[in-house]
Amino acid sequence: MKKLLLLSMGCVALWGAAQQVTVVERTRLLQDVEGPAYHPVLNVDGSRLLFASGEQFGLKMYSYDDNVVTRVSDEAGAGIDAFWGGDGKAYYVTQERRQNNLVFRTGHCYDVAAQRSQVVLEAQHGAVRPMPATRGAALRGNASYVSGKSLGTAVTTQGSEVVLTVGSKERRFTPVDSDAGYLWASLSPDGQRVAFFAAGSGIVVMDLNGNVLAQLGNYEMPCWLNDDYLVAQNATDDGHQFTSSQIILLKADGTFRHELTRPTSMTMQPTCGGGKIVYTTIDGQLHQMKIQINP
Amino acid sequence: MKPMNFKTILAMLVAVMGIHCALAQQPHVYINPGHGGHDADDRNVVVPPFAQGDTMGFWESNSNLWKGFALREMLKKKGYKTSISRIRNRTADDLNLSTIVALCNSSGADVFYSIHSNATGAGEHYRINFPLGLYRGYTGSPIVPGSDQLAKDLGVYLLANQSTVWSENNYRIAGDWTFYPDWNNQGLGVLRGNNAVSMLDEGSFHDYYPETYRLINHDYDWVEGFNFSLGADRYFGRLENYSDDFEGIITGNLRDDRLLRNVTWVLLGDDKRQPINGATVRLIDSEGNVVQTTMTDNIENGIYLFKYVKPGTYTVEASEPEHFTQTKQVVVASNAPTYCNFDLKRVRNTPPEVLSYSPVWSEGDPAELCVEPIVLQFNWDMDIEATEAALEIEPAVEGTFRWEDTNYRMVFTPVDAYQTNTLYTVTLHKSACHGGGTPMEQDFTFQFLTQSRSHLNTLALWPREDCQVHYKTPYVEFRTDSLLQSKDLFNLFHVYDKSGTELDWSKRQIKNNKNGDNYGYIRLPLLRDLVPGDEYTLKIEREVSDTAGIHLPAEMNYKFVAADMGVEKPETELLYDGEDASGVTISGTYKSASVSTSTAHLFGSKSLQLKWDFAKEDDTEVEPELLLGLESDQVFTAGDTLCVHVWGDMSCNKLQAVFLPTSDGDMPALPGIDMLDVCTLDFHGWQYIQMVVPYGYSKFSGFHMMPTDSRMGVSGTLLIDNVLYKRGMPNSGVNRVTLDNVHVGPVPASDYIVASADSRIQGVELLDLGGKALVRNATNYVNVADIPAGVYLLRVHVNGLTSTHKVAVQH
Repeated sequence: MKKLLLLSMGCVALWGAAQQVTVVERTRLLQDVEGPAYHPVLNVDGSRLLFASGEQFGLKMYSYDDNVVTRVSDEAGAGIDAFWGGDGKAYYVTQERRQNNLVFRTGHCYDVAAQRSQVVLEAQHGAVRPMPATRGAALRGNASYVSGKSLGTAVTTQGSEVVLTVGSKERRFTPVDSDAGYLWASLSPDGQRVAFFAAGSGIVVMDLNGNVLAQLGNYEMPCWLNDDYLVAQNATDDGHQFTSSQIILLKADGTFRHELTRPTSMTMQPTCGGGKIVYTTIDGQLHQMKIQINP
Repeated sequence: MKPMNFKTILAMLVAVMGIHCALAQQPHVYINPGHGGHDADDRNVVVPPFAQGDTMGFWESNSNLWKGFALREMLKKKGYKTSISRIRNRTADDLNLSTIVALCNSSGADVFYSIHSNATGAGEHYRINFPLGLYRGYTGSPIVPGSDQLAKDLGVYLLANQSTVWSENNYRIAGDWTFYPDWNNQGLGVLRGNNAVSMLDEGSFHDYYPETYRLINHDYDWVEGFNFSLGADRYFGRLENYSDDFEGIITGNLRDDRLLRNVTWVLLGDDKRQPINGATVRLIDSEGNVVQTTMTDNIENGIYLFKYVKPGTYTVEASEPEHFTQTKQVVVASNAPTYCNFDLKRVRNTPPEVLSYSPVWSEGDPAELCVEPIVLQFNWDMDIEATEAALEIEPAVEGTFRWEDTNYRMVFTPVDAYQTNTLYTVTLHKSACHGGGTPMEQDFTFQFLTQSRSHLNTLALWPREDCQVHYKTPYVEFRTDSLLQSKDLFNLFHVYDKSGTELDWSKRQIKNNKNGDNYGYIRLPLLRDLVPGDEYTLKIEREVSDTAGIHLPAEMNYKFVAADMGVEKPETELLYDGEDASGVTISGTYKSASVSTSTAHLFGSKSLQLKWDFAKEDDTEVEPELLLGLESDQVFTAGDTLCVHVWGDMSCNKLQAVFLPTSDGDMPALPGIDMLDVCTLDFHGWQYIQMVVPYGYSKFSGFHMMPTDSRMGVSGTLLIDNVLYKRGMPNSGVNRVTLDNVHVGPVPASDYIVASADSRIQGVELLDLGGKALVRNATNYVNVADIPAGVYLLRVHVNGLTSTHKVAVQH
């Protein structure tokens, strides 16, 4: 009887916490204009969108204001891990094979206003990790690039560590165990929390001191929709190919989850900015969604 | 502290720069042991003694991880930087594909290996084994340049593995978009968006059961990981980087030199022989020191491995209590595998003897089948050549040998059949020896008597040689004197068109005999219609046999022609169209019978359907028969033709046309025929049958059905469509009936024309040249006094036959 009472109380609590989510807009982006597009990345105010043209070909930018697509780079792989700096510029990494088949990576910065790319980190062997920051950006590797003296707050992952830089102070956290490592760290819009993905555990939300606030489940590619909600990818596979993939909405405190697309929609790689949610499909169709969440 | 001079500082600077340079040139390999955990998508192959779901049995997630560990171990030893996507095998370690890709991209790896094994996904009788490398993109156009080279450099070493048996000596390499055409260019998720030079390797086929057992063995997996490291060395141009004393490995497997595996799986090459479990393998250096010792496991793979062996010459010694110890000398090279397999000879310490035999027969016992194989069971696996040579059968009979139970059992099967009612003497001479070469101590002899039946007899077959088969919904039907072995029987029947292309059966509609049937049969509908006018060949293989194994005496080959039986027949009159059964009567002696119409037809929309059952009551002596009455006023005279379209089901009953005597106006009745054979229903489908009425003057009144002495005609179904009348030319009767010693005269005649014959003349008819009867008389003459002068025909009826003669009237 006691168990039943507790269970009933729990159900009431969950029902009370349930939100009403309404999709107010769902549109196909760049239909009949662009071919397959992957790895979409919205800037903070949602006015520009970076994406890879084709699975691994080059990098393009779509400007919502003038409805123009700009070719940023034709180099293979440029669209993978491209990101927006807090300075409004786009950063990306290209790679080439050199002697003995070693891969060298070069950091680039695209100045949207000047419509010009420039090399900011010379080719080097090994990883070059993107590090978006509130006031700029960094590209970290054996040699690194920093966009300015003060980056503000920046977050990235390295192995099984979250690397958090506030001003000139860098701190590293390992709040949950992960054999394979962490990915996809991002700072909440209010700058108070970090969401990241730990292989084997899923999405983790922590504060700036490394305290785990919530574990949201085994979803991927989290992005902050606002201070309270994240959007993520929920995919399954058979070890060789995807068997389902959908976009889901998660409350940052772990109390709410909502499916924004169906599992069979094969939607993936969500990005958020300015209240918009943009994602692609397994065959590269870009979609945009806006939602309304009623408490 | 002593101050450092400039040279010291310079040396330290150079050293630091060297380390930095070395690190800068350190290749980084990302290792992805495919799958993870022991769930539905982790590829559990169930092989004894492991039950389904037993994590100690084969799971691809296990073997992939062991290979990955070995690769990581070797790469670290070789100075590579490594990352790995999992180090445990739990469900939580089965990372999503996009996570693995992102981890690899984030790591900055130069190359990415996803380690897997393959499966045919086919039935138990189809197994293959070869390595396969896949990269992102179309074959020949990798999305990430260099990925195809990465696969090529790996393939060399995987294919060189001599511990396994490949079904083809080829490392297949393909782009995943080409290899998986049904996946709509989605390809492999673990290569999708992967920025490293990347590939997924399917190292071997884990559903090829000998390979399944090998992949359970960690040492075997370790060797594959080692070979991956060689592939990386080759790709990064580092094969020459290692010192001369960098260790190599020695590996291989142990098998019995003769004993065959007693399994029903597909086995390739040397995998047919039994692997040796629990054997001890020692590595002995050139000075006689044992430097490493290992054992093969007990799970049917015979694999052993010596890791980290300094280059040099060694002796490998393999021993196991039931086999003679064997040694081999090997040379180990730096950073290379040395494969050394052993075929161990079994210790056989007693002479061979026959433990049991068949057929076992004694005087007074029932005789044996004429195809009964001779089976000898031995106490040892026998030397095939010597034992086959030692077998003598009297009278001599040609046959084939089959060895079973890993050569413990010899089976001799006669190529054809033994002679009937014959006493055979079988002797295995003592020269027969076992696998170790020791002969038997004495001859072994036994006898058996054969039955009186040696071959399967054909009762009926359709189509027959040179027959015409209606081209629509054709059937092949084969009936025999005993029940046929029906499993896969249809595979022994073939129909070829004129170009030699074999036609398909409608397999779902094939009918076979069943227990209780009083003869054997198979009915095979062809899947498609034939082409009218084309010639076809029916081939029935000799191996068609009854349930006792008695087969046909020889292969049967028949030609037949397709025809359209439903074409309109010119110059005929329709007597009955089969559209209505209401006026049709049935009578006779039978268990049951019915008439109705059927939608199966050649003309119009229906045909007449007759069903009957001639099963006799236990105590009746009355022979069954059935009379099918049709309303017809058509009178047939000699030379007229009755035409009928009949659909038969090979009931093998006899069908006759029934005629009744009648008069024609003022002309007197002549003796008419009452029954005319139409056919025996020994065909399948529609046939067009024409019968010339040989004599008489009779009215067609229906059909008569009666059984033959065949055991097949107890019941059946018959369809009749358009029954036709065709007026005969007077001489057509002449053509069909020849009577000697009939004389007609005088020629010319003015009063009477008289016929004479050796037998009694039943009547004569005077016909004009158009065949119309002018005068008919039930004697041997006609009066022509009132017949105008001219040329006429006189038809003479003698003992149910007719003879027609040209006559002339002259006044």
